[in-house]
Parts: sequence; C-alpha cells; structure tokens
Amino acid sequence: MLAYHIRIAWKSLKRNPILSALIVLGIALGIGVSTTFVTGHHIMSRDPIPQKSSVLYYVEMDNWDPEKGWSDEDPKAAPNQVTHRDATAVMKSTVPTYQSAMFKSYLYVFPPPKLGRPYRGRVRLCFADFFPMFDVPFRYGAGWDRAADRTPDPVVVLSHETNQKLFGGENSLGKSVRIERRDFKVVGVLEPWRPAPKFYDPHNGTYEEPDELFIPFNFVRPMEIRTGGNTSGWKDSGKTFEDQLQSENIWIQMWVQLDSERQKQEYMQFLDNYVRGQQALGRMQRPLNNKLLATMDWLDDQGAVPEEATSFVVISLLFLLVCSLNLIGILLGKFLARAPEIGVRRALGASRMAIFMQHIVECELIAVIGGVLGVLLSILGLEVLTRLFDGMLNFRLDWLMVAAAIGMALLSGLVAGVYPAWRICSLAPANYLKEQ
Amino acid sequence: MLKMEKVNKVYRTDMVETHALNSFDLEVKSGEFVSVMGPSGCGKTTFLNIAGLLDTFDAGHYSLDGADVSRLRDGEMSRIRNEKIGFIFQTFNLIPDLNVIDNVDVPLRYRKVNRQERKRAIEEALMTVGLMSRASHYPSQLSGGQQQRVAIARALVGKPKLILADEPTGNLDSLMAREILDLLETINREGTTIIMVTHDPELAARARRQIHLLDGRLIDLQPDQVIPLYRARKSFPASI
Repeated sequence: MLAYHIRIAWKSLKRNPILSALIVLGIALGIGVSTTFVTGHHIMSRDPIPQKSSVLYYVEMDNWDPEKGWSDEDPKAAPNQVTHRDATAVMKSTVPTYQSAMFKSYLYVFPPPKLGRPYRGRVRLCFADFFPMFDVPFRYGAGWDRAADRTPDPVVVLSHETNQKLFGGENSLGKSVRIERRDFKVVGVLEPWRPAPKFYDPHNGTYEEPDELFIPFNFVRPMEIRTGGNTSGWKDSGKTFEDQLQSENIWIQMWVQLDSERQKQEYMQFLDNYVRGQQALGRMQRPLNNKLLATMDWLDDQGAVPEEATSFVVISLLFLLVCSLNLIGILLGKFLARAPEIGVRRALGASRMAIFMQHIVECELIAVIGGVLGVLLSILGLEVLTRLFDGMLNFRLDWLMVAAAIGMALLSGLVAGVYPAWRICSLAPANYLKEQ
Repeated sequence: MLKMEKVNKVYRTDMVETHALNSFDLEVKSGEFVSVMGPSGCGKTTFLNIAGLLDTFDAGHYSLDGADVSRLRDGEMSRIRNEKIGFIFQTFNLIPDLNVIDNVDVPLRYRKVNRQERKRAIEEALMTVGLMSRASHYPSQLSGGQQQRVAIARALVGKPKLILADEPTGNLDSLMAREILDLLETINREGTTIIMVTHDPELAARARRQIHLLDGRLIDLQPDQVIPLYRARKSFPASI
C-alpha cells in the first residue's frame, strides 16, 4: 500500500509542478538553513580526542583572592589557569600516566636567509608527555624524552606547516632551527595536526591557528619567555621576570592523564595535600577547591561552543518551523481542491485512515525531496561557514548530519501535513461526489 | 439484499430542517434490478448515499446482505463499500490522472489484492465492458460512453453484490444510454442486484421493478398519476 501511496503522491506532485516546486523549496530552504547551523554546532561541540577524552583532565587550583572569588556568578568556580610556581610544583607528582604544564608564546624564528626573514612563530612550551598524552601524530621522529625536560635540552618539534616552511617538507630531523638567540635541534615533525577546538588551550583562541613549534617548558626561565596567551592576576606581580614566575598570576595550563578512578583519587589527594601545604605557608587562603575536569567538561566550562552558535541553531530550527507552518495553508488548499477525487476513493472503499495515510505519504515525499535539496543547500552554507572560520574548522556534513537533515525534513513534513491530511480525510464523501 | 425500515434523514441549518428521508421503508431482494424515480429533491440521492454507506441517518434500521449496518465505524463501512457495493455515477467520476487500468484498479488496491489477482480481475472487468483496447488511455482520451463503461468496470471489478447507479445515463446521448442499460441488464442477469436512480421513464421501465419517491417516502403510483417535478419539502422547526 505504501508503494501505491507513493505513486499517487508522485502523480499529485506532477499535476501542479509549480506549486509542488514552491512547497519543496519551502522545505528545502528550512532544511538547508537549519542543517547548516546544526552541523556547525555539531562540529564545534564534538569530542576533539574521543579515544582519550575521558582520561584526560584539566587541573584547576584555587590561588585566588581570599576576599573575592574567581567568578562573581559562580562562587565555586576555580581560576582557569595555574601559576608557574604551582605548575612546576605539581609536575613533580608521580601519579599521572602523563602530565604536562604548558603555555603559548610568540618567539622569533630565524629561517635560513635564503628562505625568508625572521618571523614571530607560535611556540608552545610543554613537557615531553604532551605528545603521547594527546596522541600527537608524527611524520618524522618523535617528541623529546623526559630527560630533555629536566636539562632542558635545546630540542624542537615542528608542525607539518613549519617543516614545509623551513625545510620544504623534507625529513629535517637533526637539523637546527634558531629560535630567539638559541639553536634548537629538530627531533620530531608532526603530521598535519589541527585539533578543533584546540582543546588543550581553548581560552587562548579556541579555533585559532595551531602551534607551529614545541620546545621544552623549562626554557621559560633561562630564555625569560613570557606568555603569549591570557594572564590573570589579583596581586602585585613584582617587576623582574623572576617576580613574575613567583607571582600569583595565572597563565599556565596543566593537563594530566589519569587512567583509572583510583589514579584520579590519588592525584586529587596529591593536589589537596599540595594546597594544604601552601595554605600552611600563607598562600591559597580560599577553601580547598581543586578540580579535575574531564576534556568535554572542560570545553563546556570554557564555552568552546560560542553562545551565538547555539542561538543560530535555535533560530534556524524556528525558521524551519515557520517554513513548515507556512506550508500548512498551501497543503490544505491543495488537498481540499481534490475533495471530489477523495469522495470517489472513499466510495470505492478507502477508509479515512487510508486517505489520511495517502496524504501524509505525499507530505513526506515532498519532505524527502525538500530534505535532499536542503542537504545540497547546506553543503553550500557549510562552505561559507568554513571560509568564515578561515579554514580552522572543516565544516563538512557527515552521515549522522545527513540522517538528521532527512529526519528533520520528515518531521517538518509531518508538522505541515497532519492538519491538511486530517481535514481531507474527515470530509463527508457524499458531499463531493456530484462535484467531480 | 437491502432492507431499510423507518429510516429518517434530516438536514439541519440554523433556520431550516429538511426531511430528506421520512420514515423510509424499502426492501430489495437479491438479484433485483430496481429503478428509483422521483422529482428533484425528493431524496433519491440521499437514499443512494445511505444505501451506499456514504452517509449516516438519524433514525431507523438498515440491513445489507443480512447484516445490520445501521451504526458501524468508518473502517467497517469502508470495507463493506469496498467488498459488497459498486458505484456508478452520472458524471463517471473517473480519476483524471489515472489511466483506465489504474482507475479500475482503485477498489482492488483498498482491498489489498495481490498484483496477479488484480491484473486478472481488471482484464476480466474491461473485457466485460469491451474496453480492453483502451486500457492505457486516460479519461480525457475517451468518449462519455467509454468513460461510463470504465466506471462500470470499476464498479464490477470487486464483484460486488449490489450496484448503486446514480443517473448513469444522465450525461450520455440516447444511443450510448441504451448501450449502458444493455450492459447493466447483462450484469443483473448474472446475479448482481442493481438499484438505479433515473429521471428517464423509458430507461426506468427497463428495470424489473420501479419505485417512486416523493417527499422522502416511497409512494404507490397509479397508472394515470403524474409526479410533480419539484415540491418544496422544507419545514420550520417548532421553536421558530
């Protein structure tokens, strides 16, 4: 019977192609707009490291002003970065499988003279564990070892793009790269790696360009490297660089990998003990407020998906609803115009339910055609979004979103079609048989 | 085959009540060919609609093929229409988008008959009305007489026990009208009960039994009595 209903629906669409095209276009427009924004939201809110996100934790410790908490809105909130002194202290823990303090800086990189002029490169200072902890993919070599963290050794890992820029993409292991006034030996070159959102440092540009070079964290002191990201403070931070390192200013991100609940409890105990020790020394006078935020909680906490993106999703879904509601009137007119034919079908044995289903199938056929067209429109829309984000996010439809688009189209067809279908099936057939 | 007892049907508006059928009694035996005559507005179409389960009635009893069909749900009425009743209309009522085969196919679709059985039944019905050669034509490509034959094939295809024909020759010339009557007579001879509404006394006379309606009732007509073409039957409700 379904095949028969589809055949009748197809004939009905062909009967008035202009009207049918208008109805299909209405659905397509609604689906195109809503799928574009729903997909955008879906991509912005997806898990950037699904294989490990549940065991990666962002560390927060509350070193803030005892008189006034970190957040006016949420008294339980802890500062979203840590101080240099706390980061280096907790890095001594032996509990985590991997751990890394890190921050972003901008340092001068000196390419060979024939390749170009010095430029300010985005450099991430981090520990050796950064690479295995975040499953960073390497094309050549690997990250440095933990011993290189301690010295620190002048070693560097290049991003794929930087290796292209400095060495034409060749295997550059063992070659030297001058950063500021030091030469660093290349020990690893990454595959193209662009986590989006940049989960390990979202409050310094969730969707900004990826880091270009990675060097050991402990160069911060000998090279007096200052952060290129956000710094927050509540207390005078002194004048010298060393004063900065010992200050209550927060500018370091701290990540740990804790593979089991027991490991997590042990590490939390470690943090609590550390803070209690600091409290005994007169620091960290706020109530104990250490936090271990799993990756997705951390991204949510940091608003990795902009509120505007959520608003656009709501608006686009409302737009789809308006499109569907507008279609109710058009479909009602279209269906009622065929009341005499429905009278005949009723006389020949069609029940009300059969007539209702016939018209719902017609609405759903329109919806599917409109949905497919809408998906094509959304591909264009997503291309525009990709360009708006300057290629940082690759807005592409996946099968889940295509299925969601068709699902939304079917739902729209139902919203638009139920009332007209109910009206036409409720007509008394006897009234229309003489009108044929 | 069909038995109506004291059937009443009243159409109401804010101001007027119209008694379309008024204590209407009729019994039609299986295999009869009955013509129904009467002036415009006498209740012929209302009678056919109720007989065909296309309309409800306010009071009385109606049994069809031995079963009480006075108060049934829509699904059950639809099933009975589909299986036991065939309709033939004055304006043919073919579906313009469908060709001859698909038009005749409609009742079988709602009966959920399988493809092979449908094909066989459609061919048989089209052979009966002599339109196999026009099977893939659309209604707009057929003459009025041919369209009515298609409508008859559609009424016959489900092998109904009762055919209700509402002025089946009203839109045809006299030659075509006689052909259609010949066809109906043939169908009746094969055992199908036919109730036909007509204004044409000559055609009515070909039925084995003629009944006359006036003011929503059956009347006994004397040989020299003439039925007025139209009589107003509106009455005002007592409250007005």
